[in-house]
Amino acid sequence: MTLLDFARGPAIHWSLIILVTGIIWRLLGVLVLTRAADLSRPRDAFGNFKGYRTVFSRAWPSGEFTTATRYQTVMAYVFHVATLVVVLGIVPHIEFIASLTGASWLGLPNAVGVAVGILALASLLALIARRVTKPAVYGSTWGDYFSWFVVAAPLVTGLMAFAHLGPRYETMLAIHILSAALLFVWFPFGKLMHAFWFVFSRAQSGVAYAHKGVRI
Amino acid sequence: MSTTARDFFAGFPTFEQVFQGFAAQIGQLRERAPQPTLSDELRVQRAIDTLIAETNADEAVWLESCIRCGQCTTACHYFQATGDTKYAPMRKMNLYRRVYQREIGPFRWWYRLVSSPVKLSDLEELQELVYDSCSECGRCAMVCPMGIDTASLVHHQRSALVAAELVPPELDALRMEQKHRGTVFGSSPEALRQQVKTIREQEGVEIPLDKPRAEIMVLSSAVDLVANGNGLLATARVMNHLGADWTICSDGFESANFGLLSGDMALWKRQVDSIVAAAQRIGAKTLVIAECGHAYPALRWNPMLKGDALPFEMIYMSEFLGRQAMAGKLKLSRLEGKVTYHDPCKTGRRGGAFDEPRALFKAMDADFVEMPANREFNWCCGGGAGIFLLERATRLRDESFKIKMQQVNASGAEAVVVSCASCRLNFEAGRFKNHWDKRVDSLVELVADHLIEERGSTPDRRVQGASA
Repeated sequence: MTLLDFARGPAIHWSLIILVTGIIWRLLGVLVLTRAADLSRPRDAFGNFKGYRTVFSRAWPSGEFTTATRYQTVMAYVFHVATLVVVLGIVPHIEFIASLTGASWLGLPNAVGVAVGILALASLLALIARRVTKPAVYGSTWGDYFSWFVVAAPLVTGLMAFAHLGPRYETMLAIHILSAALLFVWFPFGKLMHAFWFVFSRAQSGVAYAHKGVRI
Repeated sequence: MSTTARDFFAGFPTFEQVFQGFAAQIGQLRERAPQPTLSDELRVQRAIDTLIAETNADEAVWLESCIRCGQCTTACHYFQATGDTKYAPMRKMNLYRRVYQREIGPFRWWYRLVSSPVKLSDLEELQELVYDSCSECGRCAMVCPMGIDTASLVHHQRSALVAAELVPPELDALRMEQKHRGTVFGSSPEALRQQVKTIREQEGVEIPLDKPRAEIMVLSSAVDLVANGNGLLATARVMNHLGADWTICSDGFESANFGLLSGDMALWKRQVDSIVAAAQRIGAKTLVIAECGHAYPALRWNPMLKGDALPFEMIYMSEFLGRQAMAGKLKLSRLEGKVTYHDPCKTGRRGGAFDEPRALFKAMDADFVEMPANREFNWCCGGGAGIFLLERATRLRDESFKIKMQQVNASGAEAVVVSCASCRLNFEAGRFKNHWDKRVDSLVELVADHLIEERGSTPDRRVQGASA
């Protein structure tokens, strides 16, 4: 079995199993906990439902915090959107997804894929640069840096494989797939799980404040 | 310009004198604080047990969600004022998260291997983070992209520190006084009766104490009883002016709840229960909470009090007054000069009473201006959640108050009106230390000063006529 066979075979398959199992385990481990009821009378009878708006409204900071959050917000949006486009938009990824699920769609031209990949990497570098230069603001843990690394690695290796940089193509491709496998394996255990938590966390706070007639 | 409460009620100490008197009393609290009695191991275990018991899905989700994006830091007045990374809101949940990950979280078997157990020294370090440097104002929740309510997590940690006998001495002394003697700064039922008598004799204003039945039950606060009676006097003037069927119950009058402030939830409930029992006994339909910010979450938003099952409604003083003005029942004379309003964190962002106090400024035809950050985004004065009592937090309080001063100055107002005794004490301290040229007024006292007396009024109303 070559490195590429290993990467394409057991590595990626087991990483996906760990990804799915880990996500379910972590979500269930938290969501099965009881929730304390707030017995106080809500400010308005149907007001609590308005709290769910926070799930969407918190997607952009309020004007009050524009100046303080602009850099982080813009870079984070560039990174998330660009990464999503790369993950779902370039032809090799679509072929991989099709091999797993049978579903496929039209891919982006290579040049566009590369440009968006570079954009994603640039935004990721911009985010880590700020994190490193403003330690007081971020209070980073090793998990923050490791999460950054496992997200950056597939972007770097993917671009290198496409550009035929570094080792020979098959090896580089194997490294790229292995880096994606590392991302999948790490995902359920670190802060990347915010991809799920944000819905619950925003909703909880939105409802708790809406109960008192406050829109957050 | 209308006569202010300070000028008019010459028989009562000014609020500046109250502030100085309180400062002296607060200084004595440290000596009264109890010493720890339990072993170190037991104190740590009790703290951990408390956090485990208080952790539900809400807390777990919030603890899981932080991505250390740093957005909350700039929203926190203590971080903003000092630039010290340890005061960043996200750091205030680190110890809680460690306990959660080791004891409750879905990967606890892993975290028990890789993280160190909590030690007493960790809890001692936590004390500064959850008492001195977090007023549970909730401003960080307004910016967090995950929507984490750090203030709630901080409050659970205060409860854990109560269990670990690590409440700061000033708060602990008052907690013990309220727990064992039922008073705050000696504000006993006897002190209430004495204050009522003083107000009647000096100002000719009747306060119907301990009526067997009344529509409205009004609370008082320690600040009114042991120092300055102006809040109680102003409340009485407004109530009498409205012709309300009201009373104060000597067995349930204290708004201040050092159970909530310290995190001692058993004491919190006991204090609340006595008020609820008194309100039910007299058949009250409305319970008006005095200008004491934290009493609002202690009562109105008490998650253990089934609001719909209670035969009475609980409202804050600013809400009560504002609703009277909105209903056209409270006619007020014009308020001269430009004013702004400081939303106490517990009644504003964490209470939702925004519109009613502003309705009063409209009723006074005031030149009302908002601070740049207002309502949900208001900056805390820096003294909330008991912090105004803590000597060790003086620097944090003083530095963060400068943000508040900048906000008021930017509004162009000559006076800032507050509706919370803690905020007011903190504002007075800040005004005094900074030689600040702004006036700080209480909302209820301002309203009492601007009552428009009608001809042929009842004897109860004669005093208000003199001031209007």
